[in-house]
Amino acid sequence: MTIACETLIDGLLLGALYALFGLGLSISLGVMRMINIAHGDFIVVGAYLTSLTMQLAGMQPLTSLIVVVPAMFMLGWLLQRLLLNYVVGGSMFAPLLVTFGLSVIIQNLLQETFTADTRSLQAGDIARRGFELGSVSIGVLPLLSASVAVLLFALTHLLMARTHFGRQSRAVADDPATARLIGVDDRNFFAIVTGFVFAVIAIASVLYAMRTPFSPSAGPERLLYSFEAVVLGGLGSLWGTLAGGLVIGVAQLFGARISSGLGPFFGHLIFLLLLLARPNGFFSRQAR
Amino acid sequence: MLRTEGLRACYGLFQALFDVNIRVGPSEVVALIGSNGAGKSTLFRSIVGSVRVSPGSVWLDDVAVGGESERRQLNRGVVLVPEGRQLFPSLSVLENLQLAARNGRRGQWTIERLFDELSALRPLGKRPATSLSGGQQQLVAIGRALVTNPSYLLCDEVSLGLSPLAVTDVYALLRKASAGGTAVVLVEQNVNRALSESDRFYCLQKGRVMLEGESAVADRAKVAQAYFGV
Amino acid sequence: MSEPAALSVQRNGGGAKPWRFAGGLPIALVAVVVLLAFLPWYADFATQRLLVEVFTLFAIAFAWNLVAGYGGMVAIGQHVFVGIGSYSLFAISDTFHLNPWLVLPIATLCTATAALIFAGPMFRLNGAYFAVGTWVLAEMARIGALNTGWLGAGAGMPLEMIGEFDRWSRNAYVYWAALIVGIGSFAIGAVVLRSRLGLALMSVRDSEAAALACGVPATLARLSLWVIAAAITGTAGAVSYMSTLQVTPDASFSLNWTASAIFIVVLGGIGTIEGPVIGTAVYFALRETFADFGAWYFIGLGSLAVAAMIVAPGGAWSLLARDTNIDPFGIRRRMPDNLSGNHARSDDWPA
Repeated sequence: MTIACETLIDGLLLGALYALFGLGLSISLGVMRMINIAHGDFIVVGAYLTSLTMQLAGMQPLTSLIVVVPAMFMLGWLLQRLLLNYVVGGSMFAPLLVTFGLSVIIQNLLQETFTADTRSLQAGDIARRGFELGSVSIGVLPLLSASVAVLLFALTHLLMARTHFGRQSRAVADDPATARLIGVDDRNFFAIVTGFVFAVIAIASVLYAMRTPFSPSAGPERLLYSFEAVVLGGLGSLWGTLAGGLVIGVAQLFGARISSGLGPFFGHLIFLLLLLARPNGFFSRQAR
Repeated sequence: MLRTEGLRACYGLFQALFDVNIRVGPSEVVALIGSNGAGKSTLFRSIVGSVRVSPGSVWLDDVAVGGESERRQLNRGVVLVPEGRQLFPSLSVLENLQLAARNGRRGQWTIERLFDELSALRPLGKRPATSLSGGQQQLVAIGRALVTNPSYLLCDEVSLGLSPLAVTDVYALLRKASAGGTAVVLVEQNVNRALSESDRFYCLQKGRVMLEGESAVADRAKVAQAYFGV
Repeated sequence: MSEPAALSVQRNGGGAKPWRFAGGLPIALVAVVVLLAFLPWYADFATQRLLVEVFTLFAIAFAWNLVAGYGGMVAIGQHVFVGIGSYSLFAISDTFHLNPWLVLPIATLCTATAALIFAGPMFRLNGAYFAVGTWVLAEMARIGALNTGWLGAGAGMPLEMIGEFDRWSRNAYVYWAALIVGIGSFAIGAVVLRSRLGLALMSVRDSEAAALACGVPATLARLSLWVIAAAITGTAGAVSYMSTLQVTPDASFSLNWTASAIFIVVLGGIGTIEGPVIGTAVYFALRETFADFGAWYFIGLGSLAVAAMIVAPGGAWSLLARDTNIDPFGIRRRMPDNLSGNHARSDDWPA
């Protein structure tokens, strides 16, 4: 019983991180209808950037966010402005190949710069600490990650619901052509959206790198989990992505209990079974 | 004065507008008449920036503005109410208006003023925009354009699919806009309505201006001829 | 638009005849095929192995193009069939001690059956859901194979029976199998697209609602295409691994197969029959010239993909065919010129 409880809690905590991976993807899919195949690779870029910042400036992982988040925002802004704006809005295949190309470029550039070895962030004390809740033991870092994830979801929700930026995002997600008619300046607006997405990626990457060793080729797996979270929750639903991530996390860890090494397999299995039950995701607007 | 000069518009290899010259004076109401496919919507979209045209084909107060983006035209006071209303389903009525107002120009048309004129809509502010009736949605769509305080309001088929009562409300709002100094350009399939609500009219057929004149003294036979191409 | 002229949509337009391979095509093709067929007698093993890679990757890319470009289904996980095809071949050949070439059709059948089974769940999904669903399916297959003892788990399986053949025969037979797969996939594709199935698919691609309203059996059309493409992919995969002599989960169920296919197809021109040909040529030209540069080769490849999409989102073939009248294989359908004096191409209509 305790083991089941612990697995459940650990799964939820891991799942929250997966949800955070998916948050950025959910926004860029929803607002710009663009599948960014390099999404997972940018998470890895964030991890390497953090590692570099820690080395050069002697900072702790969490404090290096001060550098990494703005840097990633700028990267996203520039990427959208200089490159992705040219392929948004047309057929879906051009963005698919462009981001595939980016993915290949990033993985190989990282490999050339940092070698193919895995590395991890020295998270220090926080990675080892845990506390007892009844008979269940919970790690501080996973709890922190999950809290940050939920907080970011809440912040994004508020951003989308209450601000001009959020209204524009929802309008563009509904109907890009009409949004242009009432003054949404595509080029600039999309750049800001991607900047925001990358800022979220930055936070996710630091939390991820603090608990898992990473390498240049770790991107595609992050992308897959991000996709699973977004798709299961339903395209266009913010909280759906959180729910989706939680499910995947729990499924993976329970799977790992049954047979270590088959964690992701069970995650995939549950994903497929649930998706088949609700082919448009659980909380998508079309699901009704 | 908003005018087009030798306006040509193409979709890929297909030419939709041939050498179109129209003009709209400040505070005028002008009607565009024509059957489906005549090019009326394309003309609007060319003026407002959704369709690429050459700079010299659209002039606003003697400045060549052709081919500029929708945002730029909005800032200059040229705005389109698109066919089919196209309200944003994910936004409430109020949010649709707020979005436009924030992006638009300052002026007499505030959201408050709009709700004063359309008091029936005020209590519906928080409702999802597309949950309103067709007529109400059309009023909101026009209102959404109005709160950007345009000098030239282009209205594409605003009476389509509406009940006679709703159409009356719509035209009442347009008259208020016109009274406030905004020029209105209407695309209207109902020829009688178009002529009775406008000062001048243009008749389009297959992308060309076939006829133009003063609405009050329009020769109905000639209009029918230009409309149907008979 | 206001004249209801009698529309006659002819196969290749009523105006200027598009340039097609006329009587020259059959002769030229036959000559090329004969040349290729006799290759084992005048080329070395390295060349043969390279051509095996070319033909099998071409077939896989071509199949992906059929499904994505003509069927409108982007299957990021289509490489699952590479793994299924190759594993079926190896497993059956090893277990029953059968000649691998005789097992090849069985591997094709296995893949087609798998495709039918997968279609059940996968066809419930659309768009991005379908894309990710197939990818997850492929991942599950990979992990499954990785953890299955009698399939060799991580180390995979060798093709034992191939030892029965001498080196020359082995290379030649694999080469011929690849040649047949390469040419065959193209031929099947061309035939399908010129058939009623092709017409059905293109109508569904343009507008599913309208196609259904016209009585087009959309689901059946998609299913047929899916199974055909899977069969091609599986066979090509099987032949490819016959050449390498060892099949492993990480290699045969690798996303790289689909990534290469996407590169070839989108670069060459998706939804066209000529695109994959160009794309494959470019891919291998680059690989043979620059592969020694290691990571920089891949960076260059990625950059090319990015740059190409900015310049020509329709791929290389769109640059060639856009304003010219080239239609070598008679796939295009165009409106006749005499309609209001203007050319009109359906892909240019306002949305």
